[in-house]
Amino acid sequence: MVLAGCGGRHNWLAAAGEEARAVETLFWIVLVGAGVIWALVVGLAVYAHRAEAKPHREREARRFILWGGVALPVLVVGGLLIWGLLILRDITADDGALTVRVDGERWWWRVIYDTPEGPVTTANEIRLPLGERALFRLTADDVIHSFWVPALGGKMDMIPGRETTLALTPRRLGNWGGLCAEFCGGAHALMRFDAIVMEPDDFAAWLAQEAQPARVAMDDPGFAIFAEEGCGACHAIRGTEAQGPVGPDLTHLASRDKLGAGIYDMTPENIARWITETDAMKPDIDMPSYPGLRGARLDTLVSFLMSLE
Amino acid sequence: MAPRRKIVPPGDAPRVIDQGSVWILVAAPSIWAAHFLISYWVAAIWCAKLGRGTSLAEPRWIIAGLGALCIGAIIGLAVLAVRRYGGVFVIFEEITESSERGRDRFVGHVALLLCVLSAAAILFTVIPGMVLGQC
Ligand code: HEC
Ligand SMILES: [Cu+2]
Repeated sequence: MVLAGCGGRHNWLAAAGEEARAVETLFWIVLVGAGVIWALVVGLAVYAHRAEAKPHREREARRFILWGGVALPVLVVGGLLIWGLLILRDITADDGALTVRVDGERWWWRVIYDTPEGPVTTANEIRLPLGERALFRLTADDVIHSFWVPALGGKMDMIPGRETTLALTPRRLGNWGGLCAEFCGGAHALMRFDAIVMEPDDFAAWLAQEAQPARVAMDDPGFAIFAEEGCGACHAIRGTEAQGPVGPDLTHLASRDKLGAGIYDMTPENIARWITETDAMKPDIDMPSYPGLRGARLDTLVSFLMSLE
Repeated sequence: MAPRRKIVPPGDAPRVIDQGSVWILVAAPSIWAAHFLISYWVAAIWCAKLGRGTSLAEPRWIIAGLGALCIGAIIGLAVLAVRRYGGVFVIFEEITESSERGRDRFVGHVALLLCVLSAAAILFTVIPGMVLGQC
């Protein structure tokens, strides 16, 4: 199949969301329409080449040029413009059963669910209830990013100093891929996230769990290392004194599917490497590596992080 | 001695956008550019002052009204291009005649096509304002 390369979780033809379907319908119509116009033009060219040269009547020729060359293109392009604008108006309209604020940072995603009980902060993973319209309020912290879950819909730019909106209404369960679609510097290609569509009940349970602070014992040796190494200056673990706003919230790190903004599996080995060889795992990022952390100390820190569910 | 060939049309010195002047060529695209710029300014200032999600109700009517005015002016130019320059929309024989008359007809023809293009462009500037309706 021609589109084989587009298969999988980033497939924008997967029809996994209402908004992606709206764009897809328009896409097929434009594709078929363009095919018809192409065939007509080429057909005419062949005809003109083959046919015996004989003059057409001026009136007919003029009419043909006026309708075919002016009226038709203006109407078709105008119609498509209006159609596209109507889609845009719908997918940016300011309502949704659920509001999610996403802030693009180099090179990860700060995610805040607005719930009646207050904001719930997480990062690098977005979960959505099936069939409900979620409104994303998008901002950027440093440079322009672009928020895109091809299978569900979008995309929409995230612009510093401005808020843009985008709705996603998932229609298929699954783990869909999301990414930054606007070059934003060194690790741009590694700025990804999972968009996981769940049954509404499962989603509610997940969100309630995500709203909880971390269960960390006061004398947890892993947390002691976390604090000593200064990780808390950049990372927050709710329920502890670690409240750093610079990097991703780690309160429920281990319940995420992926590490490092959608690029590695969440395994102890990967976390250990993430801490000791940060630059090899994801070049250019704003987290220093800790090559000196080794042995039991590293193990304790990693198992502490893996316990943050 | 043979009389010198006249370069200016008879009568007064040539007026801007009148027979013999090429200004008619740039007039229609300039109107379009001005409309685009003013629309942009109006919407940008409006939205900057009143914030996201504000209705575009008033500025969209300014943009549409201005659009109608501009298209009116362009129709006027098109009439000039036909009447004064003898421009036609579709030409059947090449205009190769090297004379005032030939040049005028060529300018008229091009000006007429540019009028159509500019009017369509103005229409396409107005449409998003009408459809989107909010900042
Ligand atoms: C200077 C600030 C800073 C310090 C100090 C820091 N980090 Fe980070 N950390 C970051 C940033 C920024 C990211 C996101 C990088 C990216 O993905 O682009 C990150 C990402 C992470 C992630 C991945 C998060 C996710 O959602 O996948 C983990 C785990 C992590 N840091 C652990 C630590 C640990 C453990 C320490 C202490 C040993 C530490 N960090 C120290 C800034 C910091
Ligand atoms: Cu990017």
